[in-house]
Amino acid sequence: MDSLITAAARALATGDPLGALKRVALRDDAPALALRGIAMAQLGDLVRAKALLKSAARAFGPKEAVARARCVVAEAEIALVSRDLGWPAKALDAARATLEKHGDHVNAAHARNLEARRLLLIGRLDEAESRLAGFDPTTLPAASRAAHELVIAGLAIRRLRTKAARVALARAEHAARQADIPALTAEVEGASLVMDTPAARLIARGEERPLLLEEVEALLASGALVVDACRNVVRDAGMIVSLATRPVLFALARTLGEAWPADVPRSTLVARAFGGKHADESHRARLRVEVGRLRVELRSLADVSATKRGFALKPRRPRDVVVLAPPVDEQHAAVLAFLADGESWSSSALAIALGASSRTVQRSLEQLAAAGKVQSFGRGRARRWMTPPVPGFPTILLLPGSLSGY
Amino acid sequence: MKRSAAEVLREYGPFPGVDQVAGVTFDGQHVWFASGDRLNALDPASGKVVRAIDVAAHAGTAFDGQHLFQIAEDRIQKIDPKTGQVLATIPAPGGGGDSGLAWAEGTLWVGQNRGRKIHQIDPQTGAVLRTIDSNRIVTGVTWIDGELWHGTWEGDESDVRRIDPETGKVLEKLEMPPGTGVSGLESDGSDQFFCGGGNSGKVRAIRRPRRGSTSK
Repeated sequence: MDSLITAAARALATGDPLGALKRVALRDDAPALALRGIAMAQLGDLVRAKALLKSAARAFGPKEAVARARCVVAEAEIALVSRDLGWPAKALDAARATLEKHGDHVNAAHARNLEARRLLLIGRLDEAESRLAGFDPTTLPAASRAAHELVIAGLAIRRLRTKAARVALARAEHAARQADIPALTAEVEGASLVMDTPAARLIARGEERPLLLEEVEALLASGALVVDACRNVVRDAGMIVSLATRPVLFALARTLGEAWPADVPRSTLVARAFGGKHADESHRARLRVEVGRLRVELRSLADVSATKRGFALKPRRPRDVVVLAPPVDEQHAAVLAFLADGESWSSSALAIALGASSRTVQRSLEQLAAAGKVQSFGRGRARRWMTPPVPGFPTILLLPGSLSGY
Repeated sequence: MKRSAAEVLREYGPFPGVDQVAGVTFDGQHVWFASGDRLNALDPASGKVVRAIDVAAHAGTAFDGQHLFQIAEDRIQKIDPKTGQVLATIPAPGGGGDSGLAWAEGTLWVGQNRGRKIHQIDPQTGAVLRTIDSNRIVTGVTWIDGELWHGTWEGDESDVRRIDPETGKVLEKLEMPPGTGVSGLESDGSDQFFCGGGNSGKVRAIRRPRRGSTSK
């Protein structure tokens, strides 16, 4: 490495991106481009940073595979922070393999973390878990360790393993303090808020109350029959019946669950399931058909029995019936859930994350924007969506070090 | 051209508080190595750092028998090793892209990393007297018994090579083991070279081929 590159790299390492830029601003050789890219990323100009890292990767010679791979990892991190989830995951995987082969274990681990973070964000939890299986973070620098523990915590939260989540968050906090990066500590604190914020509402015997994540976990383990409106399933401790693709059946199950142990009049069921105001003869006939279908779906969990004025849910074994609902009933709850991370998303990234079509997501976003619940910036392909910003919730960049290859 | 595998005789470090070794030089007793914001004096017998001077030290290091020369950013500092004081500063010929530094016969020799060049300069003014082209990234530079040697390091490949100071032609190559790079170079005046190990934070001693066994 040459003199000014060493000086600039030292400035970057001590959190002085402007000092680094000052030293290499006019240079266009590969290490200078890479350092400028990282400095720009730390200063928040992600578009410029991405372009600089791309040209740095091109400028490194054919023998400088490690330096090139580090550029790819840095580029991938910028893409992740900009919620540009369409970036080539294969390139990152290849870069990780190169780093591993050449003994750069710290940056290889960083690359693996990025892969897991992306998979977690787009809800591919099994893949994210397998990416981290057998991975030992103890040799990583503190900042990377904190990022790793955040991924573990995120997975545990999605899996409703709150004890594991709390342990991982505590470790993340410890590592963030060791790294002494205030933005990272703030990010961990932000993530920890999830544990103390109501995650769902419990509706039981006509009463409602908010539930923390830990209470949700306890409820699902309690053996109660849960009509889960967060995931559109009906479940007890041992079994799950998904009605995610049967909205009418789920609406019936939810209405019956909310009223349990009382029954529900036919007119109420018709209104909730079909949106009709009055139950005429054709509605009654259709209701009978749908209740029959629901009976078949739920047969191992509960019966749906006819009463004088309507229907009632009867669990197979003596147990409570409750309804678990999202904290706020919201038409576009899934879209909002992703945007709730405080980052900006492209509508195509949201479509990837939700497994929905871009058109569907676009329509949801437009309706949410009209209601003032989301905002957008940029135009055309560069347009990004976010919820109104939550203070103190940055996503910090932990770009890989020593890009020049020494 | 003669090529052989470099024989690593001894490894020093890593040293506490040193995450990178840039230039190295030898004052007859201690190996001085640059580590960013410090020049460290290593006792090659005990392997311990016995002294350090707090001075910006980003690349090559040299010794003229009396003073230390040290590249920092885009200049070369002349340092009194007794007091640690910077006595004079001249511009570095590579404008900050400079890597290795060596003293020989009243002039300084400066490696220009990606410029793939070695400059001979006037130690008073920094004026370039002569430039030799290399076909590899240049790291450390040293003179011993009329031979000009320099280190190269590109990706996973690194070697120490003797070149013809007139034509730049490569005469002899000592190839470093894979993953072992040379970031600074100095001979001990006899049968060893000291090599900086970059981000490994190490200094290595390798065997210098015996005189008479080298051929053109």
